[in-house]
Amino acid sequence: MAAPTATAALNASVFAPGDQMLLTVTYSDADTKPLTVTIVVTDAQGNSSAPVKVTAVIDPLTVTVSDNSGRTWSRVSDNGSVAVYRAVA
Amino acid sequence: MPRVTVQVRDAAGNTATAGVDYSLRQPVLGGYYLSGGADPTADMAGGNFRSLTQYRSFADGYVFPGYNRPWLINLGKAGVQINMVLELKHYGAGDAGPQTFTVDGVSYTVPAPSMTIQQRPGTTWPKAYGYTQVLNGQCDGLFARALSQYRTFGFGVNIQLASELDTDHEFGTTEAGKAYTWAESDARAVQAMTYIVTWFKARTLPAGTTFSVGLGGFDRACFQRTHPESLMSRLDYLQWNAYATAVGQTALARFRRTKDWAVADLGPVALSRPVIIAEYGVRSAEIPDQAAWIATVPAAIAQLNAERGPRIARTNYFNSGWGTLSPKSAGLAALRTAYATRPYV
Repeated sequence: MAAPTATAALNASVFAPGDQMLLTVTYSDADTKPLTVTIVVTDAQGNSSAPVKVTAVIDPLTVTVSDNSGRTWSRVSDNGSVAVYRAVA
Repeated sequence: MPRVTVQVRDAAGNTATAGVDYSLRQPVLGGYYLSGGADPTADMAGGNFRSLTQYRSFADGYVFPGYNRPWLINLGKAGVQINMVLELKHYGAGDAGPQTFTVDGVSYTVPAPSMTIQQRPGTTWPKAYGYTQVLNGQCDGLFARALSQYRTFGFGVNIQLASELDTDHEFGTTEAGKAYTWAESDARAVQAMTYIVTWFKARTLPAGTTFSVGLGGFDRACFQRTHPESLMSRLDYLQWNAYATAVGQTALARFRRTKDWAVADLGPVALSRPVIIAEYGVRSAEIPDQAAWIATVPAAIAQLNAERGPRIARTNYFNSGWGTLSPKSAGLAALRTAYATRPYV
């Protein structure tokens, strides 16, 4: 399996107390693939059901954020390749 | 330095890690001064007052904490950051003659002050120890006495050498019968300030001791002349005062004036130093609603600190002279509210 990649960026390098801090994490893995399985059931007479779709991800990634000053970061959004976290300075 | 670390892990346990450092700006310290160097403890109680200016003459035998001022030690031990202005100016002290005294077993004799300053026409010119006297080592006893007392404090202070070199020199100075222009006086002061800060730094100082030089900050050329990089490399803070004394003078404009001169005229060492506003105030004669003016101070400081240039770290309201709070209760309430507001928290 391929190793994942990750980059992290803050919206500023210096924050005043009370400022909103935004952390943008960009991540990927060559193995990570979205997959959609479509199921159609057909009987002996040739009647078919409506198609049913289920999705899955092969080799999903988990993102963990830690802070050596004890600051709590909460997830604002995550689309599978870019996640944004927020904290208060 | 704080660091936030991100780890991305796949199903097989392979990981990628990325981190980014950041820093947090400390709150600006809201501060105070009470007329006459009086005990400000009651005025500061219950408010986010974290900084204090005090004035002493080196001529005074009681510099640290000052005569009958044990409260200064209590405030310092409680974490209030003290800006201690130590003046070559003689006024405020009793005897204007020579002094002989003993410090830690060593006897010193210091001559009478030989310089006049603030030579405003039609006034009695105040006396001060002369810059030549300082450079000749004749004032070393004064520094030794102050240092010996300071060492008993148990905490560090900012030592601001002089309070207003611009006001002191505006009309020239005279030492031992020789007259010096404003610019000449500034150059001589830089030499003397360099001597004094070098004298102190060559000795053991309480941890956290810092230094600055004192300017009112009302004259651009003087501000530049008194802040050469050679002196600034020995100092920890820039310092100036800010007053509103005319209708329409905003807090932002008054705090900004000297900062803009600094950014335009001073070198990189000077601009790396944060700023202590040792005094600021609003004169009630022209701006009767002092509380409304004070309420604009936090936003003004926040804006200036968001701009390029040195960061304003402390602002001490001067409840005396031009800044006298009248009525006091409304002014104090306004300071309490201001200091409970960003960037003071």
